[in-house]
Amino acid sequence: MSDVSIQRPPHVIRRWLASHIAATIALLVLTFLVVLAVAAPVIAPYAPTAQDANNMLSPPTNLHWLGTDDLGRDILSRLIYGAPTTVYACLLAVGVALLIGLPVGLIAGFFGGKVDAVISRVIDTFLAFPAIVLAIAVTSALGIGLTNSMISVGIVFFPQLARLVRARTLIVRQDLYVEAARCFGASSLHILWRHVLPNTIQPVIVQVTLLLGTALLAEASLSFLGLGIQPPNPSWGAMLARAYQYMEIAPEQMYSPGLAILITALAFNTLGESLRVSLDPTSRGR
Amino acid sequence: MARRSTTRIIGGRLLQALPVIFLATFIVFSILKLIPGDIAVTLAGDNATDARLDEIRALYGLDQPFFVQYGAWLWKAVQGDLSRSLLSGEPVIAAIARQFPNTLLIVFIAIIISLTVGVPLGIAAAIKPGGVIDRLVTFVSSLGIATPYFWLGMLLVDLFALRLNWLPATGAKSLSVAPLDAIQHAILPAMAIAAGGIAAISRQLRASLMDILSSQFVRTLTAKGLSPSAILWKHGLKNVGVNLLTVTGLLVNNMLAATVVVEAVFAIPGMGNLIVRAAIQRDLPMVQGVIFAMVIVVILVNLITDLLCATIDPRIEA
Amino acid sequence: MTDSTDPRRLALSRRDALALLGGAGIALSSSSLASAQERPRRGGVLKISAAANPSSLDPATGGAGSDHTFLYTMYDTLTEWDYATLAPKPGLAESWSYSDPQTLVLNIRGGVTFHDGTKLDAEAVKFNLDRNKTDKRSNIKADLVAVSSVDVTGPQQVTLKLANPDSALPGILSDRAGMMVSPAAVKAKDNLDRTPVGCGAYTFVSWNDNDRIVVKRNDKYWREGKPYLDGIEFAIIPELTTGLRSVIAGQNDFIYSLPPRQKAILDRAKSLQIVTGPTVYCVQLYLNWARPPFDNIKVRQALNFAIDRETFVRAAFAGIGEPARMNLPSSHWAYDKAIAGLYPYDPEKAKKLLAEAGHANGLSIEFGGYTDQDSVQRQEILIEQLRKAGFNIRFGNGSIAEASAAFFGAEKKYAALLSAWTGRPDPSLTYSLMYSKDAYYNAGRGEVPAELTAAIKDSRSSEDQDTRRKAFATVQRLVMENAFVAPLAFQFELDAMSAKVKGFRPNLLGKPKYEDVWLQG
Repeated sequence: MSDVSIQRPPHVIRRWLASHIAATIALLVLTFLVVLAVAAPVIAPYAPTAQDANNMLSPPTNLHWLGTDDLGRDILSRLIYGAPTTVYACLLAVGVALLIGLPVGLIAGFFGGKVDAVISRVIDTFLAFPAIVLAIAVTSALGIGLTNSMISVGIVFFPQLARLVRARTLIVRQDLYVEAARCFGASSLHILWRHVLPNTIQPVIVQVTLLLGTALLAEASLSFLGLGIQPPNPSWGAMLARAYQYMEIAPEQMYSPGLAILITALAFNTLGESLRVSLDPTSRGR
Repeated sequence: MARRSTTRIIGGRLLQALPVIFLATFIVFSILKLIPGDIAVTLAGDNATDARLDEIRALYGLDQPFFVQYGAWLWKAVQGDLSRSLLSGEPVIAAIARQFPNTLLIVFIAIIISLTVGVPLGIAAAIKPGGVIDRLVTFVSSLGIATPYFWLGMLLVDLFALRLNWLPATGAKSLSVAPLDAIQHAILPAMAIAAGGIAAISRQLRASLMDILSSQFVRTLTAKGLSPSAILWKHGLKNVGVNLLTVTGLLVNNMLAATVVVEAVFAIPGMGNLIVRAAIQRDLPMVQGVIFAMVIVVILVNLITDLLCATIDPRIEA
Repeated sequence: MTDSTDPRRLALSRRDALALLGGAGIALSSSSLASAQERPRRGGVLKISAAANPSSLDPATGGAGSDHTFLYTMYDTLTEWDYATLAPKPGLAESWSYSDPQTLVLNIRGGVTFHDGTKLDAEAVKFNLDRNKTDKRSNIKADLVAVSSVDVTGPQQVTLKLANPDSALPGILSDRAGMMVSPAAVKAKDNLDRTPVGCGAYTFVSWNDNDRIVVKRNDKYWREGKPYLDGIEFAIIPELTTGLRSVIAGQNDFIYSLPPRQKAILDRAKSLQIVTGPTVYCVQLYLNWARPPFDNIKVRQALNFAIDRETFVRAAFAGIGEPARMNLPSSHWAYDKAIAGLYPYDPEKAKKLLAEAGHANGLSIEFGGYTDQDSVQRQEILIEQLRKAGFNIRFGNGSIAEASAAFFGAEKKYAALLSAWTGRPDPSLTYSLMYSKDAYYNAGRGEVPAELTAAIKDSRSSEDQDTRRKAFATVQRLVMENAFVAPLAFQFELDAMSAKVKGFRPNLLGKPKYEDVWLQG
């Protein structure tokens, strides 16, 4: 079970997708997001910052399919330009989490003993913090802004990955071939790299997919609170913060950014859950 | 395996919790020390002289080495003194005592909503796995996890407060002064954060019910001619109680986090209001105090759920 | 948004009063005009949605302009301002006179007691003025900088000796510096920040940070029959949008200083009374002209040419405001029309000036700003306008205290700060506090032309309005020719109250007083 090969031929992936319709749709949504992120300047009908004082808070029209915001900016264009922000924010947060979580988890699981005891305590402690609260505190320390706030989110997320990797590493360590490699005098680093890491990858992929969705929600929350992205760059969370100001006059301002967040987060979660069922041996049968 | 006395169990768990609490204070304290710049300059305000800056640094112990500062803070914290807000000068503990109840009330109501909606949903889904209800519940719970709480809060304000005028849009009332009013104010924010709770509870319940239904024990009962719903009622629910408790315990952590953001939508003077303001203004003692208080609550809740689990199912060693 | 950079607004003339009355007359709904004939009813508690937690409830130690509306309920001032003109009129001081240009005599009203029962006499006034001038924690030392000594010259009379002629002083005493706190309470507690004791119409009951401030009627108040209300409850709701929602929903009765964009909501909520009026609150870019790039006058001028102020007012203030061409609004008595045309919107000219200053390929700079949504909106408008003239602006944002301290304080961060100037009791203060060599609001402590310094001094040495107007014209011309500032817009006051609130009048200061307010049964 744990030795499922990592490199899968494309047709296996195709077959898997065919049997997981929800996952396929999710993957399509996420692909679309990436396309938007890369090609936003080509796709968007207007510049995201182009203002029109004669056309503020307009309802949807032929020229502005989703209407305009409080400064007369095209909402559709801002949504599209929100995609690169979203991709950057999610990848940054999860990247930081991986960068810290992977080595910490590997070290704890592989060396065991006192090292493990200390690291596990630290992980437990981090997990006792309500995540976003700690992220707010770290952002306050690093300074307000998208990059800093997403690094904070990554720092807050790392224990989840570390714990997972540690648990997998513990299992793998028991396996004979690591013991065998050890007997043959391979270095710890070599064993970690060649034998342990590959075996932790599948559950990590699942967790990373789910974390990307959580990171998106965290970015939206922090930008909504004013700790994340700063003007004039668009972010879906920041768009909601502005829409909140105009709720009585133009409640429709809050629909599209919220839906964009919802759909993207849903896609990450759906893909993650489908992957979990297929990849993560510990959750089989659920 | 001999059962230990309850006091010993509680004592043991408390001892385990202590290092976590201690580590938590250390983590928070070190993170906030990363703050660049000199908070004294901000505090001194207009026309500050160097002498005034030194005075402020001395006043708040900012001129001391890190571990001296930490030690001093910890020693005072143990005695129930979380020092004072840099901005308002109010004791941090007083601010927390005043605002935490508002947050806790919302979390409490949200948990009740999550349970009252999530439990029936989970059971309904488990009775006929793969059926229409199951698919619907799975879908709704996916939505519940993926929806930004604060956006849901905005939608709720728009509908129930602005359009229908059923519930107040903003603020909080003290539970001890005006209980009914307080609950009315807490309902919308609680609904906003309950979405995630409903999702988590119905999912967890469905999964653990299905585990039991597929177990050997239940298969025997089915063979004896008991209907699935009868089995669920008699044996299933009792056994999943532990599972449910654990999820609920974990939910408290998630919901405290969710409230922090949702409070901004409803202008509720709670913990979220405290920490967001303090974070933007870099009011260190306040940030430290708020996080510390939240961690304590989370750890206490975990402790209580563990003990309850042990009471329900004696096989579990607390 | 509260403004931290300056707590005070400045005095205006009769011409403003006319403008105000015109505006307010139209804006006030008929029901509230009718109320003028009704007899005030005693009783009831006024519930107010207040935007900011006070920095302190001690007038001497606080520093935020948003504190005044709380302070006015508990503290009476030596002089008071006329609602319409802001001209000083008697308050706790029954009368005052300059026996010579450097001596101001104040006659203090008898029979007034503080909330703790002690008497307000000449000694108490001297104690307060000395405390405001010299106390270590006083934030208003600068207000009384012209006062060299305060002497008790009678049981109810004090005489202020001035270091130099200062005709602005009576106006200043209607502000923080003139708020009388109980000397006995100060001596007993040494700190009234959270336990205010004054002699105002209301006594302090409680203050829960960021939540609620409660005051109740002072039964021994010296004004016969006042106040009408049993008490006032301030609910502190930082988001004005949320605060307005609470008034519409009936949870609160009154909200003040709404952002103009809320006008659309107000127009729709028919049950509310709307109050508007001009103010002297000026949204502006403070510049650090001691350092590149704004040490170059051409860059500063380019900035001023690059701003489309009409559009700014329309986009940021929904049109309820006035484009700012200098630090005074067009209705001010010291306003000089000749200066208003200095910087028409001209991005091409701005580009040319930038190129002459050596930035032909554009100029990238970081400005400072605040994190609230109104500030962010203004930043977005500016970024876009300035981009068209070759300025590539980034905003580094922080809390009001933090960003302001970073810019004006020792750190000298940011090339400019997007903030506001709420004004001073007298325009001379506005100018001397921003455009003196060592002034705090001269962020870079940059050099200023000697004639500017001289003109500011001139404006304070005479009581004659014509002489002063000429001096101010010189001051404003020098400030704007040197482009030491980029003024953007004057904001208008916008208040909303439920139908049962009677007797409220707006004032030019834009800081509400509730002395005549009563509630319909």
